[in-house]
Amino acid sequence: MIAVDIISDGIFAAVAAMGFGSISDPPVRAFPYIAILAAVGHAARYCLMTFLGVDIVSASLVAAVIIGTGSVWFGRRVFCPMTVLYIPALLPMVPGTYAYKTVFSLIMFFQEISSPTQGSEYLQAMIYNGAVSFSVLFTLGVGATIPVFLLRERANSMTRGSKFI
Amino acid sequence: MQETKKTQQHISEIADFIARYLSYMLGAGVHTSRVVRNSKRLGTALGVDVSIHTSQKTATLSVSSADTPVHDTRVIDIPPFPISFEWNADLSALSWAALDDNLSLEAVRGKFEELVSKPKMNPFFVLLMASLANASFCRLFGGDIWAMLVTFTATMIGFFTRQHLMRRKVNHYIVFIVSAFVASLCASSALSLGIETAEIALATSVLFLVPGVPLINGIIDITDGHIQIGISRIVNAFMLIISMAIGMSITLILVKDSLL
Repeated sequence: MIAVDIISDGIFAAVAAMGFGSISDPPVRAFPYIAILAAVGHAARYCLMTFLGVDIVSASLVAAVIIGTGSVWFGRRVFCPMTVLYIPALLPMVPGTYAYKTVFSLIMFFQEISSPTQGSEYLQAMIYNGAVSFSVLFTLGVGATIPVFLLRERANSMTRGSKFI
Repeated sequence: MQETKKTQQHISEIADFIARYLSYMLGAGVHTSRVVRNSKRLGTALGVDVSIHTSQKTATLSVSSADTPVHDTRVIDIPPFPISFEWNADLSALSWAALDDNLSLEAVRGKFEELVSKPKMNPFFVLLMASLANASFCRLFGGDIWAMLVTFTATMIGFFTRQHLMRRKVNHYIVFIVSAFVASLCASSALSLGIETAEIALATSVLFLVPGVPLINGIIDITDGHIQIGISRIVNAFMLIISMAIGMSITLILVKDSLL
């Protein structure tokens, strides 16, 4: 049952990554690799959070580093710059519910502005959710860029000798 | 005298081409350090030195040659193309090909025109993929199959609205507000249908609008030291996120009584 959970998490993440990626017009040859990276990254984050009780920010950092490193390997195969592979793969990890709750709490704060107890509860919920969404987003971006600093030479000559132009 | 005039013209032709290359790459959402690196590489391949200064809407390009005192500087407007990873990959590869195969200016220019006129992905395919993506996203956040169906439909309508308004060149912020409103309003039907995870459907229905590429590009630019343009990109992305939030909050105010 645990295996089914992990696999289905990966599959849904892969579909989400390919779909959101397609909005940004990626080369068709990149799709399978975007799917693999997204599935592995998201499943890794799922495992860390569910089984090891790691918090969402640290788990996202680990997942982003995995995706970034993977894109160095795959990028050379399909002659795509790393960002073409890892930006779509990171998208399923965007903290959507937290972002939604931030906006929702802000609006409810305005609605309850005259009630001191409820108003401040909503304000607190907004700060809490906002802090999580911002930190996760920032961690995702930085985590995926770390491999670029470590493997500069390789990362910067990804499209050299491309067979696709 | 004749000689100088000839090099002057040659340098100016190269500058024209690199200016075009640069504006296409920046316009299509490539992060700054890659654009600078690729343009310099292209310059090396064509035998000139290239220096670039970039900002959000314009770029300054200076082309010079080591053998002659000739110098060509220009300011370029960056056209607002839709984001294209395909151009990112292909134009990067072009700069390497120019360097490795010693292509002439005419050959590179021909190849460039060929690459940028490649057909884009079919908009209906993108619509279907984005809807599927948002439905799976709903599942990842714990929505059930009915919530997924509602999200799928809501995204399809919202994304269609976005594509349609974009084609009519409506202001970006208005496009985001209207599409977020339409998508979340459609998703709020989950509330009256009595679906258990209706709130998740409502929350995910607008996420296809998240400007993920400018956000991550901004962070990459900042870590690369292009701090000014990185901040511009992030501020730009935040403006779009705020528009998205405004659109969604209209729906939330309409349905908030059934949410509490």
